[in-house]
Amino acid sequence: MKRMTLGAVALAFGLWGCGGSKGGNAGAGNSAVAQAGGSGAGAGGGAAGPTGNATVSGVIHFTGAAPANPKIDMSQESACQSKYTSPPTDPQYVVSDGKLGNVFVYVKSGLPVGATYPKPTTPAEIDQNGCLYHPRVFGVQVDQDIIIKNDDNVLHNIKALPKENRGFNISQPSAGMTSKRSFTKPEVMVPLECNVHGWMHAWVGVLPHPFFATSGPDGSFTIKNLPAGTYTIEAWHEKAGVQQQTVTVGAGETKTADFTFSAPKA
Amino acid sequence: MTAVFAVSAPVHAQNGKVVYNKWCAGCHGDAGAGDGYGSKAMLPHPRDFTKGVYKIRTTASGEIPTDDDLRHIIEVGMPGTAMPEWKSRLSAGEIGAVIEYIKSFSPSSFKDTKAKVIAIGNAPSGSGIDEGKAVFQKLECSKCHGMAGRSDGKSAPTLKDDYGNPIRPADLTENWKFRGGSSVQAIYTRLRTGLDGTPMPSFQDAIDNKLITDEQLWRVAQYVHSLSPEKAPESREVIRAARSASALPTSPDAPAWQNVERFWVPLVGQIIAKPRWFAPTVDGVWVQALHDGTKLVLRVAWDDPSKSPDPVWDEFLGRMSKTLTDVDGPLATQQGPDRLVVQWAQHPNDESKRPYFLGGDAKMPVYVWRWTSEPRLEEGTETGIAKFTALPNGRVTQAAKYVDGQWQVVFTRPLESSDTTQVPRFNAGHAIPVAFFAADGSSGEDEIRGAVSTWYMVYLDVPTPKRVFVAPIAMIALSAGLGMLLVTRAQRRVENGGSAADSSHTEER
Amino acid sequence: MTRLRFVLRHPFWQGVILLVVAYLAFTIGVQYVPPLFGVSSAPVPHSVVLQYMFIAVIGVLIFVSSDELRWRTFKEPLYATLVDRDKRWLRMGLLVAVPVLLGFETYQQARPRVDAPIELRSIHPAPPGQISFRGKTIQLSGLENPLRKAGAMADHLREGRRVYYQNCIACHGDHLDGQGHFAHGFSPSPANFSDNGTIAQLTESYVFWRVAKGGPGLPREGTPWNSAMPVWENYLTEDEIWSVVMFLYDQTGVQPRRWEASPEEQKNPTGTKQPTTSTGGPK
Repeated sequence: MKRMTLGAVALAFGLWGCGGSKGGNAGAGNSAVAQAGGSGAGAGGGAAGPTGNATVSGVIHFTGAAPANPKIDMSQESACQSKYTSPPTDPQYVVSDGKLGNVFVYVKSGLPVGATYPKPTTPAEIDQNGCLYHPRVFGVQVDQDIIIKNDDNVLHNIKALPKENRGFNISQPSAGMTSKRSFTKPEVMVPLECNVHGWMHAWVGVLPHPFFATSGPDGSFTIKNLPAGTYTIEAWHEKAGVQQQTVTVGAGETKTADFTFSAPKA
Repeated sequence: MTAVFAVSAPVHAQNGKVVYNKWCAGCHGDAGAGDGYGSKAMLPHPRDFTKGVYKIRTTASGEIPTDDDLRHIIEVGMPGTAMPEWKSRLSAGEIGAVIEYIKSFSPSSFKDTKAKVIAIGNAPSGSGIDEGKAVFQKLECSKCHGMAGRSDGKSAPTLKDDYGNPIRPADLTENWKFRGGSSVQAIYTRLRTGLDGTPMPSFQDAIDNKLITDEQLWRVAQYVHSLSPEKAPESREVIRAARSASALPTSPDAPAWQNVERFWVPLVGQIIAKPRWFAPTVDGVWVQALHDGTKLVLRVAWDDPSKSPDPVWDEFLGRMSKTLTDVDGPLATQQGPDRLVVQWAQHPNDESKRPYFLGGDAKMPVYVWRWTSEPRLEEGTETGIAKFTALPNGRVTQAAKYVDGQWQVVFTRPLESSDTTQVPRFNAGHAIPVAFFAADGSSGEDEIRGAVSTWYMVYLDVPTPKRVFVAPIAMIALSAGLGMLLVTRAQRRVENGGSAADSSHTEER
Repeated sequence: MTRLRFVLRHPFWQGVILLVVAYLAFTIGVQYVPPLFGVSSAPVPHSVVLQYMFIAVIGVLIFVSSDELRWRTFKEPLYATLVDRDKRWLRMGLLVAVPVLLGFETYQQARPRVDAPIELRSIHPAPPGQISFRGKTIQLSGLENPLRKAGAMADHLREGRRVYYQNCIACHGDHLDGQGHFAHGFSPSPANFSDNGTIAQLTESYVFWRVAKGGPGLPREGTPWNSAMPVWENYLTEDEIWSVVMFLYDQTGVQPRRWEASPEEQKNPTGTKQPTTSTGGPK
């Protein structure tokens, strides 16, 4: 049932699969959200900002041993705990075979100044399931609707803690509840949290253009439909920090931009 | 619109700056960042105006407040915090100017956005406290506020505000400290708008999703309102210990306590001895007392969201020590137990020997009962706060219970004392000075950091002496007799022909 | 109308009206008088009202008995109540009500009371001539605030503001009125600096002494003393105390009392408002 919901979410985003996530983690949460393709559909119709057919893709590598993800004590929330076969952990590091997932990669600069892109008609979606957020890291465009769903039959509140935007703090006391919110200004990243369950965290990158992606569990990401140009690409990870690269792509070209992260020194 | 802003606002804001700098900057800071001189020791910290985020509004979650919202809070203040009312100090014009100046600290919030006011209707007729309780449970308000509303919910230890400071859910049994007011309408408004900057969310979407109706949210507000006493308790100087003819209740949850008068003793931070403490957890104790002529029982109950020490509160303690810095040294890194000290004058009948209220001093010690949640009870003397010496052969006993965020402790001691130089005899018919100290180990409080009271009096009722009834009865008999005498004499005189005055009077009639 | 005129002219009813007016004046009216002179007033104690009413009754009796005719008319309604057939029920009622009322009042006087002992203490005890401040002897009499002659006032006031908000605000409050958020926990209440009866009547050296030594440093006549005022010499330097003292006067807009000025000059030293002399201030 819950897997089906997640699957549906993934499909709606036009994502690549959520298989192969970490052993037995029923949350399977950190499904890859590489989104540029999906939302790019809406970008073509706008009058203002340029699009093209260039692509930047790459893989996020992770060197060294991944720090263990902290265990979550969900004993106070049996409705969530029962969704897990093994003790749930907080998926701060989604690492497999030296590749890092849940890294937000986006075009930081290089697009014409002041270029605007119409917001996609498809809303983004975040689900509260098993007392974790799915997805954990994702991007939206300015003013794009974000559908917030609760699939847990417990009280969640979802609170946004932006710096540039106005925040919100919504209570969702029951399964099946949905709320719709959006952000009006670009901001990378806006933290989301639940105060009832202090371990629940998610991040949303708000951008004025559709050129962003989140690395999947295999560490890969793709940003499509770029116009030819030279771009600063930034990769953001909640623990491992941020990195930048400059990439020049011609029309129709596909360029690779790999990043390598390691655990920050304590 | 913009033109009006451009012309009038700067002038306004200029006046506002003068008023702000004189009266507001000491806490809220010169640049409105909530970092004034007084801010560090205060919990909650003063509002940071640069974020444009305000708790008490009539607007939707995440929205800016209206000018009226800001004016309201400035006029009435925020109960339970250091923010006082300003209506008595500042004119309406000055407040208006300050509002413009405050808004100028967060221009992006107030320039681009227009506040969307939530229409608040009227409370539905009738009272639906039972329904409100059911909805309260359905919405799982107890997750933070606790089963009895005493802010001891499972999530309470993890809560922080937008700035990472520790924050407690409101104690719903003490509505006189609700930041936005205690009325049903105020509570309902907070449920609709949430308290921005805090973990308290808006329940608007629960109505929009048809999970509950608007009326049900009003019922929740009515239920929450009903959890507190009708009126904020007033502290009375004298705590009366009634004389009981039946056996004294010695357990904290004995039903007999329900019929014993409760006395509220407010406690405030211990800010006299080093290290001072400006953010006490315990804000008062409820005291009940009884005696039977040979023994005194004293029941003390106080709200404390944590049964310390408890590892789930480690995170909270960590936040406390990060937030409350620079006040007489760092907090303990380990949680201590919860504490209660009941302090008595050693020579209660001699006013010239009243000790200093804070643990006495070397010349005039106090007699104390030191209770901790370990649990342990020591009887002894203090020559200054926490300078404790145990007395041998203590005769006071205790029974304690922790229920839904409240400690309830019953102390029992014989009235007699074998050694009246150090241990007072509790004489009925006399006022005996008593003072209280309470500390919550989970928020870094200890023997000195905690909440204190000054002297109160415990008065042990004496059986009403017979003479008390003799005098009134004699008075009634005497005055009734005199009256009868007066009447009969006057009437007899009329019958016998009457006086001139009387006859003229009768003729007139 | 004629009935009203009859009542107003009748000495008995005149007496009754007079007593009612007197009672209302004593219980309600009196407390509005002092504010006319800028002094706040407390409610009139019950015992005082009783004394005044006794005097009023005597006055009324003297008045009505000063003239034979008036005295006789005065007594008419009384006699009527005692003897008239149609006043039988009023008579019976009074015969029951008056003794019961008297009995109740007697009981109120006789029953044991749950009262705290009354404490008498001096609000402004006389300061010592000199104090020892952190081991240094400071001569208080004749002492002015040394910061007023050194450095920039603005700096001292900024420093005083810092000291006040870091240390004093919890009790003495934002308004400097003794209504800080901890004030409700302390008895006696923290000093209200906005009140004319506090710092406006005192020299800065007196305030310095009170701040430095706090409640425990009070002389004998200040006891029994429950003051929660800390001993600030344990926390603050001499300059910090002088600067916060200066801040108190600046923020409230009152002037400290001066040493040099003779009593005449004191009343109006430099055109600023100077409080009347106090009973407990420094001499």
